[in-house]
Order: sequence, then structure tokens, then C-alpha cells
Amino acid sequence: MEQSTAKKPIRCKAAVSKVAGQPLEMVEVDVAPPRAHEVRIRILCTSLCHTDVTFWRMKDFPAMYPSILGHEAAGVVESVGEEVVEVSPGDTVVPVFSGQCGDCPDCLSDRSNICSGLPFRFLPGMPRDGTTRFAFAGTGEPIHNFINVSSFVEYTVVDVAHLVRLGPGLMIPPDKACLLSCGVSTGVGAAWKVAAVEPGSTVAVFGLGAVGLAVAQGSKMRGAKRIIGVDLNPDKCEIGKRMGITEFINPNDTGGKAVSEVIKEMTGGGADYCFECIGSTAVTAEAFSSSRMGWGKTIVLGVASGAAAPISIPSYEILRGRSVVGSLFGGLKPKTDVPLLAQKYLDEELELDEFVTHEMGFDDINGAFDLLTQGKCLRCIIWMDGASAKENGNGGVNVKPKQNGTLV
Amino acid sequence: MEDNKCPKPIRCKAAVCRAAGEPLVVEEIVVEPPKAHEVRIKIVCTSLCHSDVTFWRMKDFPGVFPRIFGHEAFGVVESVGEHVEGFAAGDAVVPTFLAQCGECPDCKSSRSNVCSKYRFMVRPGMPRDETTRFVDANGSPVYHFLGVSSFSEYTVVDVTQVVKVDPSLPPPTACLLSCGATTGVGAAWKLAKVEPGSSVAIFGLGAVGLAVAEGARICGASKIIGVDLNPEKQELGKKFGVTHFINPKELGEKTVSQAIIEMTDGGADYCFECIGLAALMSDAFQSSRAGWGKTIILGVEMHGSPLSIPSHEILHGKCVMGSLFGGVKPKDDIPILADKYLNKELELDKFITHEVPLKDINTAFDLLQQGKSLRCTIWMDK
Repeated sequence: MEQSTAKKPIRCKAAVSKVAGQPLEMVEVDVAPPRAHEVRIRILCTSLCHTDVTFWRMKDFPAMYPSILGHEAAGVVESVGEEVVEVSPGDTVVPVFSGQCGDCPDCLSDRSNICSGLPFRFLPGMPRDGTTRFAFAGTGEPIHNFINVSSFVEYTVVDVAHLVRLGPGLMIPPDKACLLSCGVSTGVGAAWKVAAVEPGSTVAVFGLGAVGLAVAQGSKMRGAKRIIGVDLNPDKCEIGKRMGITEFINPNDTGGKAVSEVIKEMTGGGADYCFECIGSTAVTAEAFSSSRMGWGKTIVLGVASGAAAPISIPSYEILRGRSVVGSLFGGLKPKTDVPLLAQKYLDEELELDEFVTHEMGFDDINGAFDLLTQGKCLRCIIWMDGASAKENGNGGVNVKPKQNGTLV
Repeated sequence: MEDNKCPKPIRCKAAVCRAAGEPLVVEEIVVEPPKAHEVRIKIVCTSLCHSDVTFWRMKDFPGVFPRIFGHEAFGVVESVGEHVEGFAAGDAVVPTFLAQCGECPDCKSSRSNVCSKYRFMVRPGMPRDETTRFVDANGSPVYHFLGVSSFSEYTVVDVTQVVKVDPSLPPPTACLLSCGATTGVGAAWKLAKVEPGSSVAIFGLGAVGLAVAEGARICGASKIIGVDLNPEKQELGKKFGVTHFINPKELGEKTVSQAIIEMTDGGADYCFECIGLAALMSDAFQSSRAGWGKTIILGVEMHGSPLSIPSHEILHGKCVMGSLFGGVKPKDDIPILADKYLNKELELDKFITHEVPLKDINTAFDLLQQGKSLRCTIWMDK
């Protein structure tokens, strides 16, 4: 069934963002075949990450309209373009917004995960030629890509540098694979690779969304002794504790004291590692103040909106041995490290099930936006309807996730 | 000959500052004996560091007057207070503005050099009891600076801030290890851990910046880019290992960070800010390489302005860190740097560009503010 669609455009369903902040519209689109170094993927499921929301709300560049958002997903290879040897049709893959070309100084170094061979840029289309593979069915009007993935569509085209193959030994349920595509990897990676949290450490996590909770998970896995979670939503305390938080601070409940004051008191001077997992420069400054003199590290993970003020660091404070570091994708090299996390899930060292709080069909995708913006979910898994590609007007085979979750 | 068992007050000369920004006046003062855990030092020579100038200019707290400035010096122990171990009269020592108690979590860890038991603070008095050891001719107290106050023939320093050095070190060289040279070399060697083949950019080619260059040189950096508004620093920089020079005024439309990014094909591996201006700290950050670029802040911000970091840029794997004293633990690392000097691996004599007797100490201030000197040695006995 997959082979017969190769080399031809596929007509399928997409949730398109046409106007900033407006509900996505379900439309028919044509997805062009993959060019050289590209792979066309049938999405099995996708999830909503807050970065999608940040860009969905953005009126100006780097937001572009119309576009297909979404960057957290799991799928199956439908066909490959020329020069692609790494994956074949039928392979299970996870797309990642951050690339790994494998050849550039960054990919060759273990100090960096910021590929300079195919640098991360905000383009309307594919990373190598800037053109898009999406068009409205009928009119042929182009639809922009989103950060090298575009997963709110039944079929997408992704550059092979942005793809992770999960081989037969790493069969994890597609909704769990989807989490490794961005949020959870970012959080776990940050604790493991960027901070290198060591046993006995004290960690503070600002923002207990999926990324923050993944930081808590990752810190716990690294043997942190205290993991202080900070969130305005009191409901996050309970889920936080299940994910490894040892103490919880609600900034509205500190009796007027700054969160950094509370943390410094609790820890006798400040935390060893402070993670910002929201995308607020004001919170980043607070996180910095909460870090310990001498060796305190502040790790910035949150993506601020375009118009955000810069992070402001008191210059005398930084002289006292503190540092601030940021990362994309938690410092992880996608192809190298995502399979390691998948293995950790299979070995029951990494908890992923708790991140999935809701599931829905593709047609209900706007519900996911509501849940996330209202702070009522961690990850909503949006299941595609199955192989409903209409190349010839024929119906497709329905592929539904099995009860135990392994991929077909 | 002083009686070590019961030291007495000493009458001597000191350069006292009585008002912010005013020339120092050489006066007679009395230096009290060292209390418990303190060491009285006969200063042989001292030098002027820009941090002295920053606080000398400060009208408001923590600027206080009258004060004895100076924190870079070399001297000989004259007497010790109770409970002082490891030091005796006659020992060659350098005082340091940064303490090392050896007992707190920071002193015990290799990750930190900021002693948390005796925290660095700009205090008017001694660290343990906040009182002063200096009295002027009218019997009024004269305040300390960073617990060192080396612009005086004698001073009293807490034992956590005194480092024994090899007596074969020339005094003006030992003096440099007390602050500026150690801060710069330490920052490259210990804090940044510059590795062979790295590219380094240094903002501000004063003594600290050139010491960073010297440190980067001995660490094997392949490109050392110096940035300074003073064109004379180009020739001078070459003596310290600077391979490329940028004068921001001569770039035309281009910004300094654009120039550095071009020179290094994407940004420098390590960028050091050695002046103390938030705008330059931002420039240094912009000049660092995505993926692994580190920006190291050494300068003490002149106006207390905050450093501004664009958040999307830091997400691309960049890091900003700062330190006092180049990440160096005074008692552990100054002897190591002294050894590197004595076996000729580290060159320090080139930092000394002028010398004056104590009575001409204000000349040192003029020379530094006019950008005409690196380090001017101020001799007590000449």
C-alpha cells in the first residue's frame, strides 16, 4: 500500500493555521514527494508543545501564514527521496526540529548539539532549499512549513537530518515515541547533558509543564537529592511529586517573598541547578537569583516570544561564580540520544506514561490548544485517522494503535 | 626590632583618600597590632588596579571615606595575631582580596573559589569583626579596602587572605600575582580551560585582558583577538600573544561582534570581558560561537548596570559565566602560577610599565586613567 504512493503527491488532511491565534482549520492539502535527502512520513500521532502555541499566537516573523504547525510526532516512512540510505519505507521514525547532519564540527564534537551543517533557521520551507512541500488541494496555494517538521498533517516531508529511526529493538508505543520528539527529551536531556546533575544535588525547576516535569524526571534519574518545583498552578504539586519533585513552591503563596528568597532560605544559599522551563525572561532572572554562588548554574530551556525583553543578569552577581547556559532540545543529539531515551523507557528507567494526560482524534486538535493554554493537560496525543490518503479517491486502510501500543 | 610576642602599634606613612575622586594624601597613621587570625604585613611594593579606581570614584555606599585603597601588593610578615598558623615574621607574602578559609563547602570543592565563610564584600572594616586597624593623626579611624589596604607601609590582613610565596620572586612580579595577572591568567587557564587550538576574544586590553591573552597563549590558543579603543594597545598586545586586533572605532558600519564572527567563522570559542561595562558584556556574548561558546565576565561593572542576554541566542548552546579572581583559589593556585613564572612558562615582567615612590602615588592614578600604563609599581621604601 505504501509503495504505490511513492513519487506522487499525496492528498490528505491537515490542520492549517491561517490567522494568528485562531483555531486551526481542517483542510485538504497536497503533500509533494520527498526531494533529495528528504523523507515523506505518515504521521501516526502528534502532540501539542507550548512552542507551537507561542508561534500560533505570533503575528509577525518568524511566524508565517498559512502554515502547518506541530513538531512533536511519531510516524512511519512512506517513501524516501534520493540520497537517503538511513531509513526505508516502513521504518518507525521520530522527527525532530533540531537537526544532526553528522559531518559539521558541532555534530562531530560532544560539546555541542547545535548542528552548523544545517543550522536551525526560521524558513518557510525545507532546510536545504527553503521551499515548501505543502499546498492547498485545488488552489495549489503554498502552505509554510514549521521548524523542519510540520506534524499537524497526515503526511509530512522531513529532511533526513531531522529524523530519528527507532529500529526493531526499540519498539515503543507511538504516543511515547512522540514525547521523545521534543518536550520530554528536552527536559531529560537538560538535566543529563547540559547540567550534568550529579547525585546529591539540589535542583530548582521553574515551570512544571511537560518540559519542567521531564527535568524533574531527569534530575531524579541522575540522583538529585532535592528537586524544588515552582509553578503558579497548585494542581501541578501532585503530578510534580509523582514525577520526582521533593518540594513545591507556588509564587502566589510565598507571603510576598520573592521565589528566589524562599529558595535561598530553603537551601541555605541557593540551588546547584536552576532550570527555566517557561520562556519568561523575568523568570529566568529569578531562577538566576535562586542559584548558588560559587557554582550555581541556570539552564534556560523555555522559548520566549519574539518580542520578549532580554534576560537581565545583575553584573556583580555573575562575578560570584554563577553561570547561565541555554540549550535547544536539552543538549541532545537527536539521532544519537533519542534511541538511548527510548531504551531507558523500555528498561523502565524513564517514566513516560504520566506525560500523556489526554488523547483525541485529529479532528479535535483545537481542543488540545484549549487544554494546554488553560493548564489542564501535559501532553494531548492527537491520533491520525490512519492511512486515509486519497490518491485515487480510494479509501485507505485504517490503522489504529493497538491496546498494548506497539506499532503496526 | 619588633617583639613578636607582643606586637605594638606602628606609626608609619599611608596614602589616604579623604573624598571620592580626590588625590590621595600621604599622611602619618598608626597601624594597630594584628588581632586573632590576623597578620600585620610590611608592604614592600604595591600596584594600582582599575578596581581601586572604580571604588575611589564612588561617592555613595559602598564608597566610604577616609579610606586606604590598594589590594595588589607584595610584602613581608611583620607580626601575627593569636591562632595564626603557617606564617611567621619574615615570610614573603601577597595579600589577596579574596579569602580562602579551607573549611567551607566552597573552599572544599574544586568547582568554586568563592569562600562562603568569609564572603567577598566591599566592607569598611576587617572581615571578622568589622572594625578598623588604622587610625589617623587625629585619632580617627581610617577605613580598609577589601581587607587589604596596601597603599600603606604597614597593613593588617586576615590570615584567610594572605598567601605565602617563593621569596625568590621579584617583588613587583609577586605583586602582580596578588590580583590582576592572576585574575586574567586564571580565567583562561582555570575557569575557561582554554584548550589548544581554541579561538579567544578579549574585550579590554588592560592588565587583566592582557593577562587573559598570556594565559590563553600558554594554553595553546590559536587565535587571540584583542579589542580595545586605544590603538596603542595593538603593538603592546602582540607582546602578550594577541594575534588579531580590533579597534571598534575603525570598523565603520560593522559591529565588533560581526567582525569577530567573521574572523572566527561563526564566533569565538571563548570571549572575555575585562573592562566592566554591561554593553561590552553583551557584545562579548554576541561574539561567542553557537554550540559551545563561553563568555567569561571578569570586569566589575562601573555603574552597576545589568548584563542583557537575548534569550533566543542563549538557547543555541551558549554560556555566560563570571568570576572573581579568575576562578583561582588564592592559597592553592598563586604558588602554581609563581612556579610557572619561575620556570619561564609564564611571562609576567612585561606587565610592569612604570614605577614610582609612595609619595608620587597619584601619578599611578593618572597614568592608568589615561591608558598609559599597565601596572605601575609603587615602592614603599624608595
